[in-house]
Amino acid sequence: MRGFLLRRLLLALATLWLAATLVFASLLLLPGDPVQAILGLEASPEARAALERSLGLDKPPLARYLDWLGGLARMDLGESIRYGKPVAELLEERLSLSLALVFLGLLGALALALPLALLAVRFPPLDLALSGLVTVLQSLPTFFLGVVFLYLFAVHLPLLPASGFPGWASPREALRHLLLPALTLALSRAAILFRMARASLLEVLSQDYIRTARAKGVPEPSVLLKHALKPASLPLVTLLGLEGGFLLTGAVVVEAVFALPGLGSLALTALEARDYPLLQGLVLTMAALIVLFNVLVDLLYGLLDPRVEYA
Amino acid sequence: MRKWLALVLLLGLALAQTRGGELRVAILAEPPVLDPTASTSQEIPRMLYDNVLQGLVKFNEKGEIVPALAERWQGSPTSLTWTFYLRKGVRFHNGSPFTAEDVVFKFTRARDPKSGHTHPEYYQDIQSVEAKDPYTVVFRLRQPNQDFLFNLARPDSVIGPKGRVEEQRTNPIGTGPFRFVAWERGVGVRLERFDGYYEPGLPYLDRVFFRFLPDPNAQLAALRAGDIHVIGLGVSPENALVLQRDPAFKVVTGFTTTEITVGMNNSRPPFNDLRVRRAMQHAVDKKALVEGVMLGYGTPIGSHRSPGERCYEDLSGFYPYDPARARALLQEAGYGPNNPLRFTFTLAAPYPYERRLGEAIAAQLGQIGVQARLEVVEWATWLSRVFRGADYQMTIIGHSEPHDIGIYANPSYYFRYDSPRFRELYTQYLRTPDPNRACELMKEMQRLLAQDAVNVWVMNAPYIAAMRREVMGWWQNQPTPSLNVTRVYLAR
Repeated sequence: MRGFLLRRLLLALATLWLAATLVFASLLLLPGDPVQAILGLEASPEARAALERSLGLDKPPLARYLDWLGGLARMDLGESIRYGKPVAELLEERLSLSLALVFLGLLGALALALPLALLAVRFPPLDLALSGLVTVLQSLPTFFLGVVFLYLFAVHLPLLPASGFPGWASPREALRHLLLPALTLALSRAAILFRMARASLLEVLSQDYIRTARAKGVPEPSVLLKHALKPASLPLVTLLGLEGGFLLTGAVVVEAVFALPGLGSLALTALEARDYPLLQGLVLTMAALIVLFNVLVDLLYGLLDPRVEYA
Repeated sequence: MRKWLALVLLLGLALAQTRGGELRVAILAEPPVLDPTASTSQEIPRMLYDNVLQGLVKFNEKGEIVPALAERWQGSPTSLTWTFYLRKGVRFHNGSPFTAEDVVFKFTRARDPKSGHTHPEYYQDIQSVEAKDPYTVVFRLRQPNQDFLFNLARPDSVIGPKGRVEEQRTNPIGTGPFRFVAWERGVGVRLERFDGYYEPGLPYLDRVFFRFLPDPNAQLAALRAGDIHVIGLGVSPENALVLQRDPAFKVVTGFTTTEITVGMNNSRPPFNDLRVRRAMQHAVDKKALVEGVMLGYGTPIGSHRSPGERCYEDLSGFYPYDPARARALLQEAGYGPNNPLRFTFTLAAPYPYERRLGEAIAAQLGQIGVQARLEVVEWATWLSRVFRGADYQMTIIGHSEPHDIGIYANPSYYFRYDSPRFRELYTQYLRTPDPNRACELMKEMQRLLAQDAVNVWVMNAPYIAAMRREVMGWWQNQPTPSLNVTRVYLAR
């Protein structure tokens, strides 16, 4: 187990370095520059030069790359060009929101998908209707679904706030603001989880030991919940890990509809402003989180399937 | 006597009802910094001009220049010396008194091209600026400048405390009726009533929250849900029509100084050919664009100036919509059915209305056999490729700065319009001592641009804001980008 973790850690570090270097290199290829994005349309060449100097953008790329790596070694992600604030501070503000949103969204998706998948497997006549339902959910774009929820729950039945995020000072208020976006996210992600769970359950149900269980006279609900569910959830866990990583910045549409200051909109702003330090910090953080999710998934495997060994 | 007392009491009561409260205003985008002297992003003055940051003079709602930190001044377009008499007893939001020293510091920095101040060209005719006493400032100019006072009213000319430059970018301190409280990155900007404001009784509101809401649907939902009181600008025509019918809301429309401009690269084929540029003018049906794309909001224009600005010349009919004439001009230039005119039309992603107009214009051009290939690029790419590099053929964008015809005097501006005649007219305009002559020259410049068909000026963009019915005192026009909340109150 310790050896496994150590190897994963080294691999993670290599992944992070590679991701950081790749993003640095690819940013050099992008047209546009942060100076113009800050100064605006009518900036004078002198103002451009002055700002370039103060941001250190007049140095050659290799020097900037080494500077940045040096900062990383000191746990310093540098300062955002767009916001004039330390990158780490910005990431911290946004990460708590995005993690909460993704967690709630995926939890909701799972809470919806798993019972439906069990129902579909248990009662085959329902299968078609349920599959149809989730296909409809999947085909509704989140910007549409989100706006429908907005009007339903914030405008016509003013139960929940329409948009924005008040911060974590009052967790109750924060949750109220996250409910609609999380629901939107949950409904849009439920379909893929449902499909995976259904397919996986069906496959497990065709195994010999299930037949044995049934032959012993174990009642069908018990067969499903006790014998089939746990092994069938392995691919689900993998999927959740992948989705979690993707949604941290992939929920940008939901963030826009509900005006949430999350990582997705931060990434978009950073890209539009060519805010190199912020983009690099973001990619690095994302890579770190995805690596972390993968390790967690691997560890969960062990809990779900005793045959998995960490060697 | 008793009657009078009752009246005074009533008045006091009415006033008390209009005081206080928080106003929440949605704006579309977040600016990169909060200092209008560090970036020309129009979102900065939208939130802060006059509300927080003020200069010697300012624009009112109609676009007239009125006193701000200067009580009165002596000077005219003929003068080389301008004297400003400052308002006494004014304090900055940090408590320090406002004096002539702050003015001297500001304009010494503004006219230094190395300082990184926006638009140093506005101030380049200033030879010296000195404090005669703590409340008198004297500017000496190298040569008379028609636009000197106008430039002092621009957002670039706001004055902060002496010596404070870097901090103004994220923590602006000024003399306005509201003081800056916080900039929550990605969320919004909070302002609070400044109790030491020099105009008695102002402002009415206690707090103002400008929220960044980039999505028009989210804005509308937030307005309907009561999360915000005002959508400060850029309400889409469709949404404006819907809100107009709802008794809980009102829609405010007026003029802006934004010319929506189809920019053409005058230095490159095919648009280095005057006949081709003129063909474009005849091929674009501006009335249909206003009706069809903007649902009737907006005014067709024919040159680079907006109807709300002084010395405007209506040239919208200079090139009547005439596809046959356009085809003939193209034929003259060597294009025809066998050799159609082809080019790339670059649209900037963040501006939905310019984009929609661009698509409609491409379709109109298609009617005369022109093949405009649409290409959408994101903002940073547009800035570097089109705006700075002039590496494009045709594009469309809104030019929102007021009184910006001077860009045509710059041959390296992205239209690449190189006209000695225009430059001469512009210099004459700047230097002429006679305001009437200046106005004539301004009109002549507009005509020259139209004759040279430099760009297709499609329309003056409408100002459309929407708000709850109880919001009173909102500016109807945008003579300069400013969501001015000085006199806004909530009727109860």
